[in-house]
Amino acid sequence: MTIDEIVLHSRSLLDMKPSQVIKKTQETYPNVRGFAVFPVYAPHEIIHAAGLMPVGLYGAGDQLEITHADSRFQSFICSIAKSTLELFLADEMDGFVGIAFSSICDVARNLASVVSRNTEGIYVEYLHLPQNMASEQSQTYTRSEYERFRRKLAEHVGRPITDAAISESLKLYNEQRRLIRAIYAYRQDHPGSISAAELTCITKAGTRMMPGDYLTILKDVMEQLPQRPAHARDTVRVVVEGAFCEQPPIELIEAIEAAGCEIRDDDMMLGWRLFTGDVSEQGDPLTALANAYLNESVYCSTRHDYYHPRTEGLLARVRDSGAKAVLFTPAKFCEPALLDYVLFKRCLDDKGVPHLKLEFEEKMWTFEAPRTEVETFAESMLFD
Amino acid sequence: MSHAAGIDVGSTQTKAVIVDIEGRIVSRTLIDTGANVRRAGQRALDVMMEEADVERSRIGFVVGTGYGRYKIEAGDTQVTEISCHARGAHTLFPGTRTVIDMGGQDTKAIKIGEDGDVIDFCMNDKCAAGTGRFLTGAAEVLGLTLDEIGPISLKGTKPVRLTSVCTVFVESDILSYLAQKRKIEDILCGVHQAIASRTISLVRRTGIEEEVTFTGGVARNTGMIHALEEKLGVTLNVSDDSQYTGALGAALYALDHVRAGQQKAAS
Repeated sequence: MTIDEIVLHSRSLLDMKPSQVIKKTQETYPNVRGFAVFPVYAPHEIIHAAGLMPVGLYGAGDQLEITHADSRFQSFICSIAKSTLELFLADEMDGFVGIAFSSICDVARNLASVVSRNTEGIYVEYLHLPQNMASEQSQTYTRSEYERFRRKLAEHVGRPITDAAISESLKLYNEQRRLIRAIYAYRQDHPGSISAAELTCITKAGTRMMPGDYLTILKDVMEQLPQRPAHARDTVRVVVEGAFCEQPPIELIEAIEAAGCEIRDDDMMLGWRLFTGDVSEQGDPLTALANAYLNESVYCSTRHDYYHPRTEGLLARVRDSGAKAVLFTPAKFCEPALLDYVLFKRCLDDKGVPHLKLEFEEKMWTFEAPRTEVETFAESMLFD
Repeated sequence: MSHAAGIDVGSTQTKAVIVDIEGRIVSRTLIDTGANVRRAGQRALDVMMEEADVERSRIGFVVGTGYGRYKIEAGDTQVTEISCHARGAHTLFPGTRTVIDMGGQDTKAIKIGEDGDVIDFCMNDKCAAGTGRFLTGAAEVLGLTLDEIGPISLKGTKPVRLTSVCTVFVESDILSYLAQKRKIEDILCGVHQAIASRTISLVRRTGIEEEVTFTGGVARNTGMIHALEEKLGVTLNVSDDSQYTGALGAALYALDHVRAGQQKAAS
């Protein structure tokens, strides 16, 4: 497929509900079943090694009207929590064995319980991933949590999940993450070769495909990028930060780009590109995954590292990507992101890095207001 | 090519300004936007050219602004209304450091530098409370026009408190006070104070630095000026051209292009 065809294909996958994704995959892999991964991170390798397709569950986007979930949640809860619950209550999760949640915030924590109480026949896992990366016990603890997950998942699928199978999956996902990093690096060197909206479509669609098929797509993209005409413009180079869990609508990313910003780096789809390098393919795979989570993960609101504060990570991302400004894009009511914003704002002001906060929610139908804000922000820098 | 024009297509009204090469306003016009945004922009330009007796060929550059800026076919380029209001306000009142722009559907707080550049800004969210639409709703319930409610509100001595600043629910609040036989001037005084409080909350996000210039259609409302001044504790700059501030800023951006073109031709 050409890159344009891949983007179109990706968009069609993003327009599907999770049950439709599994149905579509079963056309090629008749017996495959899905396992949903709620953001931010879960070890996809263990799920894949169990013979399941890990599927990123980022709410229902604009594909589903909320008619059940509002009765379970207050009005000040983020969109992704409501629409994820709605997917279960509206029977749109057929073909899934289970779902894994992890420690993000109080809402995600309670969402796991609410889903568990309101659904039958689906395995709901809550991964207690460590948030403190500095403790000496974190590595042992993380590995034991992965081991617990492996054991329980194996019980649900009725077959053992071997080290060998996890190691094979680890290689597959290493290659996948390596290619995504390479595409991000390429577009930084060749602005305009692929837009952030296109790339986000592709990275997000990757959470809705069998990883082997997705590798083929990523290789196609990487191969074709040098032949793609770049459309460099006079833009403000920005880092987009704050969308590590709920994902902004693709149209919002398009609006940001149309308003005169070039997104150099971002924290979207973070869980699927969490590691800064390859996870070790030597030795015990669960230990390798635990080590990578603790020592080789990108900065994130769900991880606390006393020695490496979040602000340090944001400044590094700005510096390394050659950005001149930061667009902070939290989902509405996203507590972890908004709490981080307090630290980010102070830090960016101190360093003289211009920034703009732009909240989003799933059901945004018009993008005029955010576009005006971003355009003004760009003008305030370009008109100097 | 001795003139430049700015067209500000707002949600309720379209404003346009023509300036000469010195940046002086030679013509301005205001029409209802209506449903056809594209036509509104062209119509405003046509009306203005006719009134000023300026032919299209003499207008060297047109900048479109406002929410309909990309629909203006005559526009050579687009600049956001926030940048345009900042530029316009700074031209009308050079000491301006804070702009409060209150339009039909949205309110903006803009912090500007000594040279009129935008330093920071804030827009209201989806909610229409604190915008012209809120005042329209109140006026409609009371059977008054927008022009009438400001002066009447100034007569209020015992302003009511509104339990809601929601544009929809304010109507039931007003009806409730009418049933209690509260005076219309006290109700309107309370309405204006509620909007002022809401607006100031927005402005505080960017910081309030004097001089403060009030722009947009609602700046014609004397009751709103009074309520804002009382809450802010400062005297507001309000121009007779407050409605045209965005269009003026757009015309001045257009003038930059005309002058740049002339300089290029001269060299």
